[in-house]
Amino acid sequence: MFLVLEGLAKIFGSNKAVDDVSLSIPEGEFFTIVGPSGSGKSTLIRILAGLETPTAGRVLLRGADITVMPANRRPTCMVFQSLALFNHMSVGDNIGFALKMLGIDAAERHRRVETLLDFVRLPQDFLGKPVTQCSGGEKQRVALARALASDPEILFFDEPLSAIDYRLRKILEVEMKDLHRRTGKTFIYITHSLEEAMVMSDRIAIMRDGAIIQIGPPEEIYARPASRFVAEFMGEVNILPVSGGEVAGQPAAGIADGWLVVRPEALRPLGGGAAADISFDARVQNDYMLGSRTQFHLMALDQTLVAELPAGLAAGVNPGDRGRWGFDLGDCISVKE
Amino acid sequence: MSRRLKAPLLAAWLGVVLTLLYLPILSVVLASLANTRYMRFPHKVWTLDAYREALGAHDTVQLHLTSLKIASVVVLLATLIGIAGALAFARYDWHGRRMFQNIVLLPIFFPQPVLGLALLLSFTAAGIAPTWQTAAFAHLVWIAPIVTLVISIRLYGYDAAQEEAAFDLGASRLQVFREITLPALMPGIISGALFGFLLSWSNLPLSVFTTGADTTLPEWLFSRTATNYSPLVPAVAVIATLSSALIVLLVVVLAQAAKRTRR
Amino acid sequence: MRRGLAGYLAMLPIGVLLTIGFILPIGIVALYSVMPPRTFEMTGALTAENYLAAFTDGYWRPLMWSALGASLTTIICLIFAWPTAKALESAGHRWSTAAAILIALPIFISESVRLFGGSLFLMPGGGILAGSLRAWFDLSIGSILNTRLAALLGLIYIHFPFVLFPLILGLSLVPKDQIEAAHDLGASRWQVFWQVELPLAAPGAAIGALLCFVLALGANAEAAILGGQAVTVATHAIEQRFNYAQDWPLGAALTMLVILITALVVFPIMRRLDFDRLIRR
Repeated sequence: MFLVLEGLAKIFGSNKAVDDVSLSIPEGEFFTIVGPSGSGKSTLIRILAGLETPTAGRVLLRGADITVMPANRRPTCMVFQSLALFNHMSVGDNIGFALKMLGIDAAERHRRVETLLDFVRLPQDFLGKPVTQCSGGEKQRVALARALASDPEILFFDEPLSAIDYRLRKILEVEMKDLHRRTGKTFIYITHSLEEAMVMSDRIAIMRDGAIIQIGPPEEIYARPASRFVAEFMGEVNILPVSGGEVAGQPAAGIADGWLVVRPEALRPLGGGAAADISFDARVQNDYMLGSRTQFHLMALDQTLVAELPAGLAAGVNPGDRGRWGFDLGDCISVKE
Repeated sequence: MSRRLKAPLLAAWLGVVLTLLYLPILSVVLASLANTRYMRFPHKVWTLDAYREALGAHDTVQLHLTSLKIASVVVLLATLIGIAGALAFARYDWHGRRMFQNIVLLPIFFPQPVLGLALLLSFTAAGIAPTWQTAAFAHLVWIAPIVTLVISIRLYGYDAAQEEAAFDLGASRLQVFREITLPALMPGIISGALFGFLLSWSNLPLSVFTTGADTTLPEWLFSRTATNYSPLVPAVAVIATLSSALIVLLVVVLAQAAKRTRR
Repeated sequence: MRRGLAGYLAMLPIGVLLTIGFILPIGIVALYSVMPPRTFEMTGALTAENYLAAFTDGYWRPLMWSALGASLTTIICLIFAWPTAKALESAGHRWSTAAAILIALPIFISESVRLFGGSLFLMPGGGILAGSLRAWFDLSIGSILNTRLAALLGLIYIHFPFVLFPLILGLSLVPKDQIEAAHDLGASRWQVFWQVELPLAAPGAAIGALLCFVLALGANAEAAILGGQAVTVATHAIEQRFNYAQDWPLGAALTMLVILITALVVFPIMRRLDFDRLIRR
């Protein structure tokens, strides 16, 4: 296996930032680690990049132990959260930096930088442009080109899109996936947004309190979250308790005890005798227009439930309405804890 | 106060302040343009004689040399010490940093003549005769913290992740310092060095007590303000001030030129 | 990685410099201050005579004048600095930068030159002011040279920029929108000044006032050049003890008293300051 993590741990004082993490990552995979702040994902990626040394465990690259190899000798490169572009240098000098450190002569560096500019789709006249004059999106590309310059085996990404506005982020997410396809390199990416991870990744690992709690392709995480925590990570969902084979006081055949994850899209108003596996009384508290869909907050079953309806159905529902709402068990996911 | 009155009133106030600030300086220039041994303004004859005499006097050269020797030593050492100090002040995280920040500032928030006298006492007690070298040391105690502060301010806007990125891209620790840290600090280093030079060149209280037999330009001027007046004195004052301005200008021009050739 | 160690290594040069050049000399002065009068060794019997003499032999007078002068200077400089800072704030960016530079430039011209100019300006008879008034308006005026007033004016003149620039810094830390919000919520101009602006600009004002007071406390040249014999300041008294009277211990005791006053004002304010927050804005 290309990259293997064996029992990695990092302890700061009494804080277990990384707690016994073991993983195997095949070459060329786009692997994303998702977790809230404090989950240890930053520390983990820094260990892999060589910017921190673990207190226990090993990192093996193509079978060689690189655990204590410092970052400047590892065949890896990191794109930092703040991008960390060298503000006093031009675009060309930034991109060519790794090559300069390798002792490659100016002419050859120039040639390679030109190739990289083309690769990240920046115009050639950016070569001498001071980095401080670039826009946010342009800076991202410079950071990418800089990281690719030394042809590293692995590229690390430390939440590079977290400080970008929504519209640009959506564009860059797609470009990131495209970049992965074009370079064929192994990408290890960290983010706090599961949504972002789903767009780009081959596999996702969910991290919490220093440990990996679920790992798998995006479809699997989406369809079968391993726990309440992972389900809640996916955004607004409704969690209903399941006990004694019942949900909301009604029989729930084939659902194990624990929790039932009900997506907002699964809830619907039951007007005129329509039926559903599980139904209940609800009062509409508020509505929020989200463009083609409308979100409703319902007071029901002693909690606030979130429902989303397409514009057509939403038209008939207003705050203050009381009525029957329900969902089908087939649209839900059952989790143990 | 109505808004329309406010702006011109404040502008007038600024004018008053600037005038008052520059009157004494203007007075020195005016006084130097005479050739009488006593001060009688307006002068009957306006002349540059005093300047000719000053530029030809051996003393003038000697005074400039002493001031220059001290200032050069101070600038060199204060800059080196200041770079390290600024890194400790604003860049690295370590226990005792807060106390260190306060200690570095103490010589600045301290009456200079008292510092000069304390140093004089210490030198004499230790059997060290005061010379331009002891004066340079005294200047350094006051100026190194100032230079440290100037460079530290530069560091506060600095993204330290740049150093990690450079390391990650293959640079050795020395290369990180040379390629990333130093260039980022350079504007602060240059302005710190220039500040240090000007402050040392113009310093009176520390020099007065710690130069011993040697004399700097400000000291000489101080000793001649009360007695033995001649237009030579204000002329030397003007020359001394212009010399320092010229040196600063030279350094700034050279620095700009260096920046341009490096591109 | 080497986070902790790097800081300690970096602080060594200036740490050593300040230990040898600042802390040690003060220690030596402190030691001398408790030595028997008119001796030159540091190994005599410890005694508090010198401090007693400072008060009984009238040496408290120079201290008092210095403290008084420093206080007056600080207050008057603050009063002048506030409108100046406001004027710079409200002027257009180019003008205020140019004006700020012009105000800052004289700091780099030696005190000896500037105070000399002051004495040339105030000189009776043929001085710049007296001479011009006589020549153009046929007015004969006296001179305030060699008076306490002249010394005070000299102090204000030299120390004004030291109050102004920290105050400008303090004012720049006052978010404009808090002022607007206060107005919007119904506060009068005076209330906005007192309740919002002043508290927020206080750190800058405090630093400026502190710097001015401490520097003026030990000031020597202003009294010498502009005040003549009219007033003896603390530093001059100390110098006389060292040179003419050859009484190191007494001079040292007077020095320690000045340092004590300095410490009493510096430490409380410095402890409250957080430079990281101040500079990082």
